[in-house]
Amino acid sequence: MIGFKDTITTDVLIVGGGIGGLCAAIASARSGADTLVAEKSDSRRSGSGATGNDHFLCYYPKAHGNDIMPILQETFQSQIGGFHDPKLTLRFLQESIAMADRWLEWGINMRPFGPDYEFMGHAFPGRPRIWLKYDGHNQKQILTAQAKKAGAKILNHTPVVELITADGEIAGALALDVSSEEPSFRLIRAKKVILATGTANRLYPAAGTPGSPFNTAFCPACTGAAQAQAWRVGAKMVNMEMPNRHAGPKFFARAGKSTWIGVYRYPDGRLLGPFVEQATRYIGDITCDVWNTAYTDVLHNGTGPAYIDCTGINKDDLEFMKQGMVSEGLTTVVDYMKRSGLDVTKHAFEFMQYEPHLIGRGLEVDINGETSIPGLYGTGDMVGNFRSDISGAAVYGWICGNHAASTVQQGSFREVEHSAWVQERAELYSSFMDRKNGGTWKEANLGLQQIMASYAAAGPYNVRSETLLKAGLKYLGDLRKESIESVSVRNAHELMRAVEALDLMDNGEIIMHAARERKESRGMHLRSDYTFTNPLLNNKFLQVWQENGTVHTNWRERWGL
Amino acid sequence: MPPIINAEQCSHCGTCASICPLNIFTYSKGQTPVVAYPEECWHCNACVLDCPKKAIELRLPINYMMLHVDADSLHR
Ligand SMILES: Cc1cc2nc3c(=O)[nH]c(=O)nc-3n(C[C@H](O)[C@H](O)[C@H](O)COP(=O)(O)OP(=O)(O)OC[C@H]3O[C@@H](n4cnc5c(N)ncnc54)[C@H](O)[C@@H]3O)c2cc1C
Ligand code: SF4
Ligand code: SF4
Repeated sequence: MIGFKDTITTDVLIVGGGIGGLCAAIASARSGADTLVAEKSDSRRSGSGATGNDHFLCYYPKAHGNDIMPILQETFQSQIGGFHDPKLTLRFLQESIAMADRWLEWGINMRPFGPDYEFMGHAFPGRPRIWLKYDGHNQKQILTAQAKKAGAKILNHTPVVELITADGEIAGALALDVSSEEPSFRLIRAKKVILATGTANRLYPAAGTPGSPFNTAFCPACTGAAQAQAWRVGAKMVNMEMPNRHAGPKFFARAGKSTWIGVYRYPDGRLLGPFVEQATRYIGDITCDVWNTAYTDVLHNGTGPAYIDCTGINKDDLEFMKQGMVSEGLTTVVDYMKRSGLDVTKHAFEFMQYEPHLIGRGLEVDINGETSIPGLYGTGDMVGNFRSDISGAAVYGWICGNHAASTVQQGSFREVEHSAWVQERAELYSSFMDRKNGGTWKEANLGLQQIMASYAAAGPYNVRSETLLKAGLKYLGDLRKESIESVSVRNAHELMRAVEALDLMDNGEIIMHAARERKESRGMHLRSDYTFTNPLLNNKFLQVWQENGTVHTNWRERWGL
Repeated sequence: MPPIINAEQCSHCGTCASICPLNIFTYSKGQTPVVAYPEECWHCNACVLDCPKKAIELRLPINYMMLHVDADSLHR
C-alpha cells in the first residue's frame, strides 16, 4: 500500500490552481478562511491559461451603457453562450468588471492599448462588443503571487484523486503527492471544497493527429477530474451529453482562434461566411463561432479545405495580431512559423474542427457556485450550467471563494481518516503500483478514446442511438474492469496518468447515460433514432447523477432571471 | 523529443521541471532535467519562456505541420 503523509486540515480546499482556482483562493484567503490549493502541476504555469489569454468577456457600463440586457443577450449568442442558466450569467456579468479592475490592480495588463478598457474580437458587425482585449501572458504568475500574498497555501504536484463526503456533505479529499518518483497519499480534511479542474480532454482521439493524444487545443492535464470525482460521490451534472468542438490550426491543435485576424476562404478564394470582407482588430471573421462545423463540412462536401487568410489586414492590425499571439500564449506558434519560414502576410493556414471535449459541461452549481452536495463548489470550465471561459472561471471563482469562506463557521470538520471509501480507493490505486508487467495507463486511455469515437461520437456526420450507446456502456464497463485488474505503473507520474484514465472513463460513462436520455437531435448531439429537435426541450437541462450505482436523470427548466 | 535542453547552457535550476503543466521532466538537484515523457508534451512553450538560461528549444513533432498554402493561390 502506498504510504500516507500527514493529514492536512484547512477550512477551504481548492482543487486545481488554474484561473478559477486561484481567484477562488484569493477571495477565500482574503475573507479570513484557512485556504489551501491542491494543484496537479505548478500553479504558475498550469492549465489552459498557462501561457496567456487575451479575450475577457465582461460587462462595462461605461462602454456598454447602463442596460445590461443587450450584453446578456450577446453573451448567449456568442460561442460560449449555448448552455446557461440565465440567473447565473446575470450575476456573473454584474460582477465581471470588478474582476477586470482587480486583475488590473494586481498587475495583469487589462488595458494594453491606452487609458481605458477596449473591447475587440469575437464580435458581429453592428453589435455590442463584449470581449475585453487584454494581455494575459503573465496572468498565472500574478494570480499565484496574489493568492500567496492573501495567505493561501499552494500544494503543487499534488492532484486530488478522490472526494470524501460524510452524511451527504463534503468532508475533504484524497490527494496524491507526485513530487517525487515514489508516490504518497495525502488526506485533506476541509469544511468546504471548491472544484476548479478545467476542461476534460483526451476523451476522444485527437481529431487531427490520432497518434498524438496530447495534441489538444486545451490543456491535456485537464481530464475531467471534477466531474468524475463528484459523480462518484453523487453530485448532479448537466449538459454532459452536449458535444463541444473547438477549432484552430491544422494539425497543431491550439485554442485562441479569435487572436488570428483574417477571413476564412475556400481554396478558390470565396469567403466562407457573410460577416466581413475585411477583418480588423475590432471585427474579425466570426463565421466559425456561428457555423461551428464549417471546417468539417467543407471537407465532407469536397469544397474545402478552409483557410484563414490574414493577408488583407492593415499593417497596424498585423502588428497588433502578432502582439496578441504573445498575450494569448501562442508563442509556440510564433516560434514555429519563424523557424519554418511561415508568414501570415504570405501564407494562408488551414483550420480544422478538433475532437469533442468538455467545457461548460459538468457540475450543476447554484447562484453561489455550490453544487448539489453541500459544501462542494465548482467554478470554470468544469461547470455545466454556466460558461464564460477565462472571465467566467475568475468571477465565479471569486463568488465561490467568498461564499465558502463566509460560511465556514457554520460547517464542521468531519472524520476522514477512517473512511471506508478512502480505504477502498487507496487500495485500488496502490494495486497499480504493486502489480508488475501489466497493461499501461495509455492503453486504458486509448481504449476509452476508441469506444467514445465509435459509440458516443459527436456530429457532424456521426450519430448516436439507443443501441450504439447501450453497446458503448457495455464495452466501457468491460474496459474499466480490465483496466482495474491489469494496469501497472512504475512511479508516481504513471499513477497520476492511470487515475486520469479512470476519471476519463467516468466522464465517458456520464456522457453516454445522458446521451441516451436526450431523445432528440440538437447541436452536435445527433440521434439516428430521434432525428428532430424537440422544441419542448429548448429551455430545459438534463440532470444526471448516480446513487449507490443507480443512475438517475431528470429534466428541469432553466433558471431564468 | 519536444523540448531539447542544451546541457552546456543549463544551470540546473529545476524551473522547467517544476513549472511544466504536464509534468514531463524528471529532475535531481544539481543535474540537467531529463525529458522523461516527451510524448506527453503539450507544446505550450512555458519551459522555453521560463528558463533563465534560454537553454531550451521546443521542437514541434513532424506530424504537427501547420498546413498552409501560398495566400496568393486564394487571390485569383
Ligand atoms: C491557447 C488558449 C487560449 C485561450 N484563450 C482564451 C481567451 O482569450 N479568452 C477566454 O475567455 N478563454 C480562453 N481560453 C480558455 C481559458 O484558458 C479557460 O477557459 C480557463 O483557463 C478556464 O479556467 P479554469 O480554472 O476552469 O481551468 P484551468 O485554468 O485550465 O485550470 C485547471 C487547473 O486544474 C488543474 N488540475 C486538473 N486536474 C486536477 C486534479 N485532479 N487535482 C488538482 N489539480 C488539477 C490543472 O493542472 C489546472 O491548473 C484559452 C485557452 C487556451 C488553451
Ligand atoms: S512545452 Fe509545455 S508541456 Fe512541453 S515540456 Fe515545455 S512546459 Fe512542458
Ligand atoms: S529551466 Fe533552464 S536552466 Fe533551469 S533546469 Fe531547466 S533547462 Fe536548466
